[in-house]
Amino acid sequence: MHIPMHRYEYTKLTRDQIGTALRATENGPTSASAYSNALNGRSLRIVTQNGPVLEYRFQANKRLTLSEDSGRNVSAGYGELTQNQMVFFSHMIPGEQKGYNVAIDQNTNLVTVFEVWMSSGIVQGAGTPNEFTLDDREVQRQIYFGYVDNGQGVPENLHHYTNRIAGKGLYWKQDTGIETLEYYASVANTNFVELTRHVDDLSFVSTSDYVLVDDRTFAYNRTECEFSGIHTCFVADLYNVEQVGVRFGFNENDELEYYMFRGEGKVVGQLAYLEPFDEHGMAPMFAQGNAQPAKGARSTYRPARTFTWMSDEEMHAAAEQRTSAFGSGDANASTSTLSGGNNMPYSDILVGKEFTVRLDHGGPVRDYRFRDRTMLEYRDHSENVWRDADYRAYEGDENLAWFSHILPDSQPRASVQVAVDFNNGLVTSIESHMGTAYYGNETTYRAVFGAIEMEGVEAPLYVRHQFTDELLGHAFSWSYSDAVTSMHLYGSPHSMSWTIFTGNQTMGAQWCSPCIYVKLRDGVYLFCQNEEACNGVQMIALINTNISHDCGFSFNGGARGVSLTSVGGIGRHIGKYDLDEFYGPKKRVEA
Amino acid sequence: MSILNRGKAKKRASADKSRRSFFWKLGAGVSGALAAPAVMVRAEISEQDSASVRLALLEEEKTLRKLHQNFEQAMDKGLSEEVIEMFADDARVIFNGGLFVGRSEGVSRLYRDRFPSEKTGRRMEPAPGFELEADQQADRVDVSPDLLSATAVFPYSIQAGAAIESETSLANMARLQGEGVKTWWEGGVYHVNYRKDDVHGRWKISQLEYRTLSRADYRPGRSYARPIAVAAIATRYPEDPQGPDSLLG
Repeated sequence: MHIPMHRYEYTKLTRDQIGTALRATENGPTSASAYSNALNGRSLRIVTQNGPVLEYRFQANKRLTLSEDSGRNVSAGYGELTQNQMVFFSHMIPGEQKGYNVAIDQNTNLVTVFEVWMSSGIVQGAGTPNEFTLDDREVQRQIYFGYVDNGQGVPENLHHYTNRIAGKGLYWKQDTGIETLEYYASVANTNFVELTRHVDDLSFVSTSDYVLVDDRTFAYNRTECEFSGIHTCFVADLYNVEQVGVRFGFNENDELEYYMFRGEGKVVGQLAYLEPFDEHGMAPMFAQGNAQPAKGARSTYRPARTFTWMSDEEMHAAAEQRTSAFGSGDANASTSTLSGGNNMPYSDILVGKEFTVRLDHGGPVRDYRFRDRTMLEYRDHSENVWRDADYRAYEGDENLAWFSHILPDSQPRASVQVAVDFNNGLVTSIESHMGTAYYGNETTYRAVFGAIEMEGVEAPLYVRHQFTDELLGHAFSWSYSDAVTSMHLYGSPHSMSWTIFTGNQTMGAQWCSPCIYVKLRDGVYLFCQNEEACNGVQMIALINTNISHDCGFSFNGGARGVSLTSVGGIGRHIGKYDLDEFYGPKKRVEA
Repeated sequence: MSILNRGKAKKRASADKSRRSFFWKLGAGVSGALAAPAVMVRAEISEQDSASVRLALLEEEKTLRKLHQNFEQAMDKGLSEEVIEMFADDARVIFNGGLFVGRSEGVSRLYRDRFPSEKTGRRMEPAPGFELEADQQADRVDVSPDLLSATAVFPYSIQAGAAIESETSLANMARLQGEGVKTWWEGGVYHVNYRKDDVHGRWKISQLEYRTLSRADYRPGRSYARPIAVAAIATRYPEDPQGPDSLLG
């Protein structure tokens, strides 16, 4: 797949289309690995807490009969895989668009039941301008904790939600040959990379649940909401890093996938999780403040649902009405799009300086004169006209200026973010403008490298700043203010995710975007991302890991015009995954 | 209200002295058991009033203190409907420059919608360095001689908050998980008017005013607090679906 999931136009499959396709599930899932036979010939009565009583009879040839809450018996094909003491089985219910994935601990008789269904008709934002119905192809799930009723009475403890998996990163390779990197950097989401299914190694985010079976075993699922809607559910043993599970749903080609798998993997790292030590995450995040959530409830960030599409023409008309650079704020105080407070101070490092930025390969050439802390003059050699512009600058590292300004009268409206290394005579310019192939109100950016021409500076001819993977695998929390903190996980060479914390600093809601990383100096980097198919906002930050601080700019546009503001936060290093071996052309050739 | 100003024992002793003085005026007819809750009824009580009237006043005062205690507990537990039920039909609440009128309208908007969404109203320890002075902590219940109305002053120390007004993805994601609210500590005094329900003879709050004396950027567990300014409510209902019926001042 070469179209990123957030850009792919998934078919709006209808209930009828789905129902027809699901007939293929009546004989149960397929599996590349041989099925186990732990359940053959057994009858199980599974009692769940706040859920159904499931009475199963498992027969030969991978057939079962099921009675839900003493209802009629239905017959279905099923698949079953064991792992240590766990037996995991999956089946659909013929004629219905639902089924069950069930994990039984044969030592304790404790059970976690995942009910799954399609064509949910769930309405979100009811009564608001943003009301919408979930896509029928999106697999829904409801988790029930219970036990196999052998007349032993109700167990004191059942399986339960957990934060014990939070922060772990795992590489998995299934018996299908499919490889994934899965970063469990939230109690309610997974940030994952499809190493074999996709060509760009971008990371994406899907809502997830984490269930603790015992100290070495957890049960898990994720649903690729807002994308294909496909569902992956498994039980994993972290001693041997093995999994047994099922994948169910429609892929990007609208092909039904319903298969079970075994997988092997490795732990690639662990991020710190920051909630209180006595917080064990036993309540799902979506239930906080909602004691009785509706069946299937989950906290899924669906930003494209509220992102209003604008054409290039509409966007430019709005930019002509209003283009704002740094508002009208105090020149001595950093303003921010994120309730600033922790940004780095503006610098006068450029005041009085004159130089030329000459970018490589026919890139822009601009002469600069810096009048004071907030106003500059520049002349682009392509037009040979001096223009005034508001700007702000930081000293991101010793004798390293980092500034930004709008390119007045540009169409589409454009801005630049420029890092000038006076020690080395090097320049990187992030050339940004409004508009992508998808939205007029999204931003586009590119990094262009070059050098400065300035009296007293000997700029190199060959040495340049360059793209880097030195941040790959690292996670930092960035506190833009005491009220706003986001953890950035640099999970692939061309993408990142951000996670916000709940009130007790549990890692919660999460989303992702493509991005670029540039190395300026040891420990000093540029990071640039556009929240694509989200809100189109571009963040361009200089990250100085030596001081654990970032500083930079936000460029965005919408119906209210175009805005360039500043942004920056205090960082904490949260941890690192070891990912180098998984990325790059060499890896893909080997795969 | 021992949670307020724990470090101000000396000034609190002064307040206690005034209460003892008042009890002395009540005379020997007041039992020690009745005196224990630190009563201070300022109703005009003539020497001719019977002991039963005085006892009735004290009983009503106790009832009102219990009602206020229930109010704070319900606020702590987020039991909005119980809170709303404590108000009279035509009750008024004054909060941060806004006047919310009517139990089923403005008062419901405030306690059912605005306070929960802004994480406002639960008791919270005072921000360090921002404790109210002893004279600001003095509580008082005045029951009218006819036992049909009363006024009271109670100190409060609560968490207050306001939605972060931002359309950034971070703010939207925070709202998704029930947050996106900036909170702070707020201390002050409730000025409460009570009235007896005509039908059932139960006390109802006819007016409640939050008179804020101090605010600080603080949350429990933090080692510091900073003073903050909070803008008064500026948008009325229905422009703001959770707004007040009118703006004051």
